[in-house]
Amino acid sequence: MEDSLFAPGHRACAGCGMPTAIKLVLDAAGPNTIVASPTGCLEVTSTPFPESSWRVPWIHSLFENAAAVASGVEVALKRFKRTDTNVLVIGGDGSTFDIGFGAISGMFDRGHRITYVCYDNEAYMNTGVQRSASTPFCAKTTTTPTGKMSLGNPRPKKDMAAIAVAHGVPYVATASIAYPVDLRRKVKMSLSADGPAYIQVNAPCITGWSFGEGDAIEQSRLAVETCLLPLIEYVDGVLVGVKKVRRKRPVEDYLKTQGRYKHLFKAEGGAEVLAKIQAMADANAAKFGLLD
Amino acid sequence: MPAQLVEGNTAVIVGAMYAGCDCFFGYPITPASEILHEASRHFPKVGRKFVQAESEEAAINMAYGAAAAGHRVLAASSGPGMSLKQEGISYIAGAELPCVIVDIARAGPGLGNIGPEQSDYNQAVKGGGHGCYRNIVLAPNSVQEMCDFTIKAFDLAFKYRNPAVILADGVLGHMVEPLNFPQTAVEPVIDPTWAVCGNRETRGNLVTSIDLDFKELEAHNLNLQAKYDRIRENEVDYEEYRIDDAEIVLVSYGISSRIAKSAVDAARREGIRAGLFRPVTLFPFPAEELKALAERGSGFISVEMSDGQMREDIRLATGCRDVGLVSRYGGNLIGRDEIMEKMREVA
Repeated sequence: MEDSLFAPGHRACAGCGMPTAIKLVLDAAGPNTIVASPTGCLEVTSTPFPESSWRVPWIHSLFENAAAVASGVEVALKRFKRTDTNVLVIGGDGSTFDIGFGAISGMFDRGHRITYVCYDNEAYMNTGVQRSASTPFCAKTTTTPTGKMSLGNPRPKKDMAAIAVAHGVPYVATASIAYPVDLRRKVKMSLSADGPAYIQVNAPCITGWSFGEGDAIEQSRLAVETCLLPLIEYVDGVLVGVKKVRRKRPVEDYLKTQGRYKHLFKAEGGAEVLAKIQAMADANAAKFGLLD
Repeated sequence: MPAQLVEGNTAVIVGAMYAGCDCFFGYPITPASEILHEASRHFPKVGRKFVQAESEEAAINMAYGAAAAGHRVLAASSGPGMSLKQEGISYIAGAELPCVIVDIARAGPGLGNIGPEQSDYNQAVKGGGHGCYRNIVLAPNSVQEMCDFTIKAFDLAFKYRNPAVILADGVLGHMVEPLNFPQTAVEPVIDPTWAVCGNRETRGNLVTSIDLDFKELEAHNLNLQAKYDRIRENEVDYEEYRIDDAEIVLVSYGISSRIAKSAVDAARREGIRAGLFRPVTLFPFPAEELKALAERGSGFISVEMSDGQMREDIRLATGCRDVGLVSRYGGNLIGRDEIMEKMREVA
């Protein structure tokens, strides 16, 4: 851990999945890397000036801008003819799926050689667990409260990976902190792509999801094993890699361990929602061939 | 109903509910997010609309759209989000639409931090976006006023068809105090004389801020300026404390005015003839009232958590170059002792 480019001693919550994701990503990218980050849990917990967890050059910008800032960095590197330096964006799902979306689209469209990494904890955790476009169907957040009139977030999760593929991005992958070898390989693959890349890393949030301390990696593994989180990989728009699930588990095994889904096991209409979520998992399994 | 202990951000939503606000558009930002949370809990229950937008710009432009349709619209944010909203606010002002925007200001510039500051004065009071426009700006200094001024902001926004801003800060947003709930509630009603509702009745109405003809746009601007003059004439609001024989007048608004008030009492105990002038409306700024105090011979100290953004308005109003400033930045509240020190220096 002491050798990691993402140093310990940061202020992330005990049991947070995000620092694990960052360490894996950054150490795979190596020291010749520049990182741009938007506002979010990562930025707030890793850079309270004058402290920093970053052992590589790191630049922050406001919530919506990181892809644009990284574009500028990449252009400047090209101007200096330093094309061997990796440029990464590492941002959360709020900045990726919502407010920074336009800038990401521009970055993809212009074909910058940048790997955009989204650490996906499925809500605005830094500001108090508000829904993002990455929040899964019927999860409870502070802006999708549960009660007689609501079973949580009414919308399914936005499919950012598919959107990246639709931009013609040369390398697109989803990953999980529970599969570190797979994640490291994907980061290396992305950096060898001739153009932009998008990697979405599932990083469970102990505070927002409400699960037991020490369970973040297990949570992410359950997401994969229930087929709610397909680990997939596209090169030039072609699906080239799928992480197979040996023993598919029912979605309840994943949902029942998290406070954000607690209402589904009590409230009227909860059973129907559970069936819908199971159908989403089944559809993933069929669409990507996760099981055979 | 007896008074209840309520957080400032919650009080905004209480006021909005009683003011007949029927559409809320928001985006998460500390220290304003509780307004979003409370709206998401309470608005849908009574059939009013809550939408969490994907960005600050989207939220303010949703507000623009709903306001154009005649709805009573609320948006809330903090400094960085207010910066992002400025284009939309300019459009709302240009199209002359009523809209209430709450700014729970935090420390800047840039990312800054989430502590309180009063450095959004310029972008709220001077019309922070492009073009010549003004927001009506109200500055509460208690949880009760967070509620009451939200109601007042809706009244003024509709009276003048103009954006109205509640300029508060992170302390007011998170402070908990007793709140007396309003006695009466307004039911949302759409005014068909100007709103565009997609029906025959409102087909002739036009909501726009574009005017390609130079002369016509100038005329539109002159109309806006005449409206701002009417607001200056009719809506100035302020509070005075121990001002009658004051030689030193502390000018302070929002949370800082609470501290300044206690400094006035402490100064009086030391024999310093101090008083407090607290602008309640920052636009319109109580310029005439301050000018009268200057003509009487009082000296002024601006007590604000900024680099003297309001002090510039005090200078303009009073003609005094020599206006003192007691200021803190970076999320720090001004201490009473700091105000005392400055008063002893000039007394």
